Amino acid sequence: MPVTKVLTEGIGERDMRGIDAYRQRGGYKQWERVVRELQPADVLDLAEKSGLRGRGGAGFPTGRKWSFLPKDPNVRYLVCNCDEAEPGTFKDHMLLEETPHLVLEGMLVGAYAIASHHAFIYIRGEFKRGYEIFMAALDEARAAGYVGANIFGSGYDLEVTVHRGAGAYICGEETAMLNSLEGKRGEPRLKPPFPAVAGLYGKPTIVNNVETLAYLVPILERGAQWFAAVGTERSKGYKIVSVSGHVQRPGNYEIPLGTPVREIIEIAGGLRPGRTLAAVQPGGGSSACIFEEHLDLPYDYENMAKAGSMLGSGAFVVFDDTTDFVKCAYNLVRFFAHESCGQCTPCREGGSWMERVLERLVRGRGVPGDYEMLLRVAGSITGLNLCPLGDSIEPFLKSVMVRFPDAFKARIAGVREAQPA
Amino acid sequence: MSSDREKNFPALWERLRPECERIVSQYERKRSALLPLMHLFQAHEGFASVEAMHAAAEMVGITPAEAEATVSFYTLFYRRPVGKYMLQVCRGLACSINGAEDVMAYFREKLGIGHLQTTPDGVFSYEEVECLAACDRASCMQVNLEFVYDLTPPKIDEMLDAMRAGAYAVAPMAQTETPSRTWAIPQDAQVAGGRKSRGADGVPRPDNAGGIGDASGVIMLDNIINRSITGFTGTRERAVVDSREVVQVAEDESSHAGH
Repeated sequence: MPVTKVLTEGIGERDMRGIDAYRQRGGYKQWERVVRELQPADVLDLAEKSGLRGRGGAGFPTGRKWSFLPKDPNVRYLVCNCDEAEPGTFKDHMLLEETPHLVLEGMLVGAYAIASHHAFIYIRGEFKRGYEIFMAALDEARAAGYVGANIFGSGYDLEVTVHRGAGAYICGEETAMLNSLEGKRGEPRLKPPFPAVAGLYGKPTIVNNVETLAYLVPILERGAQWFAAVGTERSKGYKIVSVSGHVQRPGNYEIPLGTPVREIIEIAGGLRPGRTLAAVQPGGGSSACIFEEHLDLPYDYENMAKAGSMLGSGAFVVFDDTTDFVKCAYNLVRFFAHESCGQCTPCREGGSWMERVLERLVRGRGVPGDYEMLLRVAGSITGLNLCPLGDSIEPFLKSVMVRFPDAFKARIAGVREAQPA
Repeated sequence: MSSDREKNFPALWERLRPECERIVSQYERKRSALLPLMHLFQAHEGFASVEAMHAAAEMVGITPAEAEATVSFYTLFYRRPVGKYMLQVCRGLACSINGAEDVMAYFREKLGIGHLQTTPDGVFSYEEVECLAACDRASCMQVNLEFVYDLTPPKIDEMLDAMRAGAYAVAPMAQTETPSRTWAIPQDAQVAGGRKSRGADGVPRPDNAGGIGDASGVIMLDNIINRSITGFTGTRERAVVDSREVVQVAEDESSHAGH
């Protein structure tokens, strides 16, 4: 079984929250090397050569994202996205609570790579414990001289500010996050301009996921080649997959990208005895389901896209044959309707309407035409919104409606029988 | 009549001022401190009071209306007083296929209340929330934002008993005012602001607990006429409505009008 321990090394085995424990495993050595020996361009080069892609969902190459920053030496910001809320994802939550110094060191390296002097971490409001743990780690790092003015006597200054969210999924979208960080409603901005050009306070800003930044540390330690040697042609390195649902050992598993879907299910203990697989949602609540015929596909960005889905944030939800997909579809559509910020009409209205239709289907009170209407409405939301939230409503719903049409249509037939008049 | 909490607010603000100033100083622009300041006030008051929003607005240099418009976007700011234990049960997909529906039904039965409600004794508030990012330990929940995993009926019983006895491991929230039945401002009230209509069938929702919009997003004059409106200035004036006028709300400070 290709489970690897890179970021997850030691998690669940020993307490690594304190700075001494983290230093024992080599912590902050890379940060010291970066500040003393490397130029920002060296770190960018390393990130590009490693093939590291964003682990928050979009999968954009990290080095290339950084390279979009203007070349002038003006103020720029790094924001670490720890607003993990994609349904089924629970890896950043673990990293924040279990190995806060690794998260911090990754942030420091990322900030240095883009020559920023002020980095922010936006922590989901619900992660109160994680926030406290990270604050304690930051205090330790500051006392050790890793954060603040004139780090390692190099003349390089870097301040870190920890910012707590307050309950809004949409703030995980990078421009909504920047608005939230500016003390505004978490409503996404029109792009372009992209944050790399005009982000926080209108200044060039890079938003990177927790896991993405954390991988910079082992990449520095072991080299870009070490990372790039693992994975598939365009999906390099390792990924933490959050496996949940109908498996016997749900949890976070760090695997080489390209591990077959079937093996990931096995790593998580397989299905419960006597059950058969119905579907897998391989990339969080926003992704379409894949099915039995996809089990031998390599789990990477390209193959998940080819199968009509996406790798997303690595949330991997397994559904067995006991699953009621009408309820599941209602659950996710309600989620997106609830989390819509309300700016774009298709998302705001479409989501709420679909929630209502699905609610009556769940109750067995669907009316003829509901099946077709759901697909039509879903299709008329996608692609017409400022941000990807609206586009996230259709994939799961459509994939299970097409795969299991009878499950949906049966809820319509029921109402006709129940209404003799 | 103003409550004790309102009377005590200036002293609380004075006491927290150094911490507030430290928070504001972390940011290049003051407005960024709005959410952190509200977290701080809520930790002391148990909810996000109008006074706290005013104070935060003043400290970061925005209008009270801007502060409220922002704070109301975020579900973790409770706009009205809540119970001592905020029970937030995950209704996310991974939990829901692993027993969350039973867990939620159990809570509703044991507490005798539903989603977004507080028990009459003011001890428990109950909410069903979106995915809490702990799907490997389904069914999960938070108690005053501390996680509780792998929920079962006996575990829930034990938890509720300990809370009632004041012996639960998680500290109760500050409670500076007696909570009412719900802390949520009904969605209909947001609808009046032009956001998030529930569709257009125009049927007022039966649980409308004071909003002024109907389900279609249309402000219902019936709900405004003869209704006291508490302005940000603290003045209470009656809204005057007839078929020709829209709404006139007298305000002490005209500077607040138009925002």
